[in-house]
Amino acid sequence: MINPLLELKEVSYKNNNFTLNKVSLSIKSGEKIALLGKSGAGKSTLISILNGTLRPNKGRVKFFNTEIDKLNLYQKSKISTIWQDLRLIENLSAEQNVNCGLLGKQSFLFAFKNLLNISSFNKAHQYMQVCNLKKSIFSKNIRKISGGQKQRVAIARSLIQDSEILLADEPFNNLDPKLTSNIKDLLLINKNKNKIKVPNTTLISLHRLDLLDGFNRIIGIKNGEILFDLEKTKLKKFHLNKIF
Amino acid sequence: MNKLKLNSSSITFLPILVCIPLVYELFINFHIGGIELFKEFIISALNPKINNEIIFILLKRLNETILIAFSSWLISMIFGVIFGILSSEIFYKILNLPIFLKRFLNLFLTFIRSIHEIIWGLILMQIYGIDFSIGIIAICIPYIAINAKVFSEQIENINLKTVESIKQINGNKYSTLITLVWAPVIETFKNFGLYRLECAIRSTAVLGLFGVGGIGTSIFLSFQTLNFRELWTYLWGLTFIIIISKELLNKFNFSNSSKKLLTSLVIALFCISLFSLSFFVYFIFYKNAIPFNSINNLLISNLNFISYDFLKLLLETIVLCLLSTGIAISFPPILILILNNKIGITIIRIISFLFRLIPPPLLILLLLMFNDPSISLAAITLGFHNAAITSKLLLANLYNQNNNEYIAMKSLGVAKRSSWLFGLFVKQANSYLAYCAYRSDIIIRETAILGVIGSVGLGWQLQESLSSFAWEEVLIILIAYSSIAIVGELINGKIKSNLT
Repeated sequence: MINPLLELKEVSYKNNNFTLNKVSLSIKSGEKIALLGKSGAGKSTLISILNGTLRPNKGRVKFFNTEIDKLNLYQKSKISTIWQDLRLIENLSAEQNVNCGLLGKQSFLFAFKNLLNISSFNKAHQYMQVCNLKKSIFSKNIRKISGGQKQRVAIARSLIQDSEILLADEPFNNLDPKLTSNIKDLLLINKNKNKIKVPNTTLISLHRLDLLDGFNRIIGIKNGEILFDLEKTKLKKFHLNKIF
Repeated sequence: MNKLKLNSSSITFLPILVCIPLVYELFINFHIGGIELFKEFIISALNPKINNEIIFILLKRLNETILIAFSSWLISMIFGVIFGILSSEIFYKILNLPIFLKRFLNLFLTFIRSIHEIIWGLILMQIYGIDFSIGIIAICIPYIAINAKVFSEQIENINLKTVESIKQINGNKYSTLITLVWAPVIETFKNFGLYRLECAIRSTAVLGLFGVGGIGTSIFLSFQTLNFRELWTYLWGLTFIIIISKELLNKFNFSNSSKKLLTSLVIALFCISLFSLSFFVYFIFYKNAIPFNSINNLLISNLNFISYDFLKLLLETIVLCLLSTGIAISFPPILILILNNKIGITIIRIISFLFRLIPPPLLILLLLMFNDPSISLAAITLGFHNAAITSKLLLANLYNQNNNEYIAMKSLGVAKRSSWLFGLFVKQANSYLAYCAYRSDIIIRETAILGVIGSVGLGWQLQESLSSFAWEEVLIILIAYSSIAIVGELINGKIKSNLT
């Protein structure tokens, strides 16, 4: 039996206006999971619990069979996240932001050199090109680029991290149909494209049903509860009716 | 390797390079002559003198300090608002007055702002002798101009489209003016007013060191007699009133006040303005001044005075400003970065509070216990005092902001310091630098205090010229000071507008 990569056991989380109720989930290596649900269904909260930024009130979260709050920095860097609000750093250029994805594996000296703009950007440029970003925006301040470009900078930052699993919260927002298709292919299908490594395991939250191609497992969530968790081939219309 | 790119974050760290010449000069001038005294000073902080006599003096001195500080704060706030409105463009647009009046007023305010309250105090003391009211007037003169600048900047931020739309209503001009400026004036008072009270208390303490009265006079007398236990009793007393005044005024909430209370407040403020204006006029025209014999010489240029030595002092003052500003900008972020945990931050808060509390003239006298006088010594005194102020602001802004990026960084497995740097500090770097630009204006003015104590720069010459009633020299020094401050203010204004 393959050990799960990331696992939630009976996880409950409650804050002022939202409750996640006894959620159990097991993600195995190589899975491409689409997390479906309406806005406010609990997708972002679930992702924040999976990457360890929210601590559940009850239940356990394990990564490679280790409790998530006991992971060291190196192990933590093996989980990458594309946030819905992107969380890029304003006042820095696009390439400096992408280089931030390397901070988990590099020393403080690298961080400081990146801040002064004297670190190497070769690797960052490689990832930015794969994400369809033009050279002209590499050194532009993040505040001066468009929403779609910011989205791709955030994607490049998460890919450069060289993680085992990618958690993405609605990563196709702000992208036109062609770019959506390219980026989806990059995240789900193309491994080692242009000699870059893309995480083998992905969990992507969505609310668009036309983007389900390429996923092999679908999880439906509503009001903080998982209503279905099945293979893509077994997904029927009534499943979708339950959550939308 | 890529070319170094100076963004606001890197600019905050690079001024640390000023430490290279500073440490070298301090190392050369180091001696251990006063190390025992310094130890005694530190130990006395935990063992202040407490007896009936000292408590009585402390209460009397605190009473004087509160009276001087509160009166000067209130008067300077009221006149600050009035001059702030008068020096804003909106005033001239609404009343259809010629704009050159605004430029003339701004020039006048810039001049009086550029001269530190200590210098005003010393000049007034030379003319009128030592008097309680000297303290109030000396603080009020530059504070009115400083407050006017802040209020005017906020009023200028009113959207011009709003001005046009209100003008379209064709109401009474004064009603239009009050409608437009009321909100920014109240907002600025809420954000900036309390801070100015703290400044007024500190300025009163510093003026006291020069004999005006209040707690500063007792602090200085205790220092002269090396009675450090007594000195700490007064310093803790000063701490007490700073904290209490802040807490009391924090309790006063404008938005929850009833209309009746607000109306009474406006009437009270109006009466105080009238009273303080009459007081100024009385003081200047009717009070018997010590004969001002050499007044006729004031306008006679003394070319001999502007010699090589004078230019050297001028250069020393500029270098002192640059070095102190370098320390004030770079030390807080570097210290917070190094000591980035709860205990470290608490230590920084305590140290910065002490550096804010101890007036710079006293601080330099303490440092002179184990170092010879030099530009570097004056620079670290001014630098650390101002770094204590910038660090307070930086800490408040860092931990009151949205920390989503910091959380994102931590989730990437990034170490705490790197997460702090990219997730928290980078977002604050711009506004921190803009504040430092404003702070450097104050540093330029403060160089005078250290000079007066006998260290370096033009302040030293000013003290000499004042003591010998050489008014023509005083005038030249004031013009020199003012010129440095005005040029500094212009450069900092450009930097600030680029940053914001």
